[in-house]
Amino acid sequence: MNRQTDTEFTPKIVGFLCNWCTYAAADLAGTSRLKIPSTFSVIRVMCSSRIDHNLLLTTFFKGADGILVAGCHPGDCHYGEGNYYARRRFALLKKVMEVLDIDAERLQLSWISAAEGHRYAEVVGKFTEKIRELGPNPIKGSTRF
Amino acid sequence: MISGEEERMDAAGIPYMIRPGKGPEGSVLDLLGQLIGSGGADALLLPFRVPSGDSFAWIMFSDVSLLKDAVPFPATMPVQGGRALRSLTRKEKGKLRIIALMRPCEIRAGMELSKLGQVNTENLILASYDCPGAVKLEDYVADPVSCDSAHSEMRSRGEPSGNARSACSTCVDFSMVDADIHFGYFGIKDGGMLVLPGSPAGRALLEGLNLEEGRGLLPQWEAEISRLAERRAATREETFRETAERISGFDGMLATFSNCIGCHNCQSACPICYCRLCYFDSEVSRTDPEALITAAEKRGGISIPPDRIMFHTGRLAHMSLSCVSCGQCSDACPVSIPVADVFSFVAERTQRAFDYKSGRSDGEALPLRRFLKNELDGVHEMVKDAESEASPNE
Repeated sequence: MNRQTDTEFTPKIVGFLCNWCTYAAADLAGTSRLKIPSTFSVIRVMCSSRIDHNLLLTTFFKGADGILVAGCHPGDCHYGEGNYYARRRFALLKKVMEVLDIDAERLQLSWISAAEGHRYAEVVGKFTEKIRELGPNPIKGSTRF
Repeated sequence: MISGEEERMDAAGIPYMIRPGKGPEGSVLDLLGQLIGSGGADALLLPFRVPSGDSFAWIMFSDVSLLKDAVPFPATMPVQGGRALRSLTRKEKGKLRIIALMRPCEIRAGMELSKLGQVNTENLILASYDCPGAVKLEDYVADPVSCDSAHSEMRSRGEPSGNARSACSTCVDFSMVDADIHFGYFGIKDGGMLVLPGSPAGRALLEGLNLEEGRGLLPQWEAEISRLAERRAATREETFRETAERISGFDGMLATFSNCIGCHNCQSACPICYCRLCYFDSEVSRTDPEALITAAEKRGGISIPPDRIMFHTGRLAHMSLSCVSCGQCSDACPVSIPVADVFSFVAERTQRAFDYKSGRSDGEALPLRRFLKNELDGVHEMVKDAESEASPNE
C-alpha cells in the first residue's frame, strides 16, 4: 500500500493556527524573514478549541502528510480556557489513531505564542523534517480509501 | 459493585427479597404493578412482543391490566432503551413519573445521554436486572421460538450462548449499575429474587411495599455475579486480542470495514449518536465530484463512495468516550461487520486514557466537558521551558 518513498519527497503539511497567538507568530516569522517550508499550508482558526475531529480527519484522509494544530500556551488562551479543551479533544483523536495504529504521529499539537516567531519556524521546520522521515501519508498512495 | 456494597447500602438502604414462586419474570411484573398501584409512579415503560411475534417494542402504559402481556426480560434488544428514554425526556423532565425496566447497558446509555443533555432523569425511575445477554436480531427474526428457549436457558445459566451478541459475551457490566432499583436473580436458588435499591428514590419506593428483608441472599448472588463476571472478562480479553490483531493499521481497518455498504445503520441504531444530522451524512462531508476525479488521477484510482474508513474513525472519535458496548451497531449491520467488537475495544482504551467509564451516574461530567490545567503532558510537542506551571484547578 505504501507508495515507494520518493527521495525528493516534500511533505504536505496543514497547520491549523490560532488567530491570537500562533497565527501572529507565523506573521512575525514572515516579517523576520525566517524560512518556512512552502508546502506548509496555514488555516487560521479563531481558537484551537474550534478544531473538530472532522476537520483533522478530513485533512488526514484527503492525504495531508502531516497536521499541526497550534494555539496559545496553557493559561494564555484569548478566550480563557479554550486550549485546555482543545488539548483534551486532540488527545482523544490521537488515542483513537494510536489504538487503530493509523499514523497518529502525523498529528502534532504545539503551543506557540504571538511573540515566538523563531519558535514557530523551528516547530514547523522540525515537524516537516519528522514527516519527511516518516514518508508520504499511505492513504495518498491507495485507491481504496 | 461488590466492594462498594456497604457504601451502597448506606446510600440506598437494605436489600429486599422475593421468595421463589412466580420466578423472576412474574415477581418483577408483580412488583411493578404494586408500585403503580401504590401511587409510587404514574406509568411503566416495558418491552412487549410485537404482533408479528418476532420482535419487541417499548410500550409506555399505566393500566396495570396490560402488565400480563409485558415481557420484562426480552430475548433481543431491537431499540436501545436509552433511545426510548430520550424520546420521552429529551426536551424536559417527563410530566409523568415513569418506571423503566431495562438492561444494564440500556441504563448506562441513558446515563450517558443524560450527561449529553438528551435524557432528563429527574422524573424517571430506572430499574435494571441481571442480564444474560441479548440474542442477535437476525437469529431471532429467523426463529423466535427456539431463540426464546435459548434465551431462557441463558437466563437460568446467567451466561450468553451461541446466538447471543458478541457484545454480550464480552460484557462485564451485566448486573447492578447506577439504577434506582435492581432485580438480582443470578445464582439465587429456586427462582427467588433480590430487590436492591440503588438510590434514595428507589429506596423510598420500595419501603412502601412491605417487602421481606433479603440480606441473607446477598452472598450467593454476589458470588455468582463475580464468577460470571470473571468468565465474561476472559472472553472479553480473548475477543479484544483478536480484534486488536484484526484492525491494526490501515490494512487492518480496510480489511475489517472493506465490505461496509455505507448504510450508516450502525450510527442510526447507536444510542449515543443522537445528532439530528451527522456530519458524515451532511452535504459538507460529501466530496466534490471534481475533487474525486483529481484524487483518482493522482492515486491511480479511487474507491467510490469514498471515506468509509473515515466515517468509522470519525465515529470512534466522536462517541467512543460514551460508548456503552451494547452491541446495537453490530446487530444493525447488514453485512455482519463486527462493529461492536471494534468500538468496545477502542472505547475501553479511550475511556481509560481519560480515567473515565461510560454509563456511571449522571453526576459525573463527560471527559471533553472538563479539564485539568496540568494534564496530558505527553500530548503536545515539548520545546523549551515555556510550559507554565499553573496550579491544577477542579
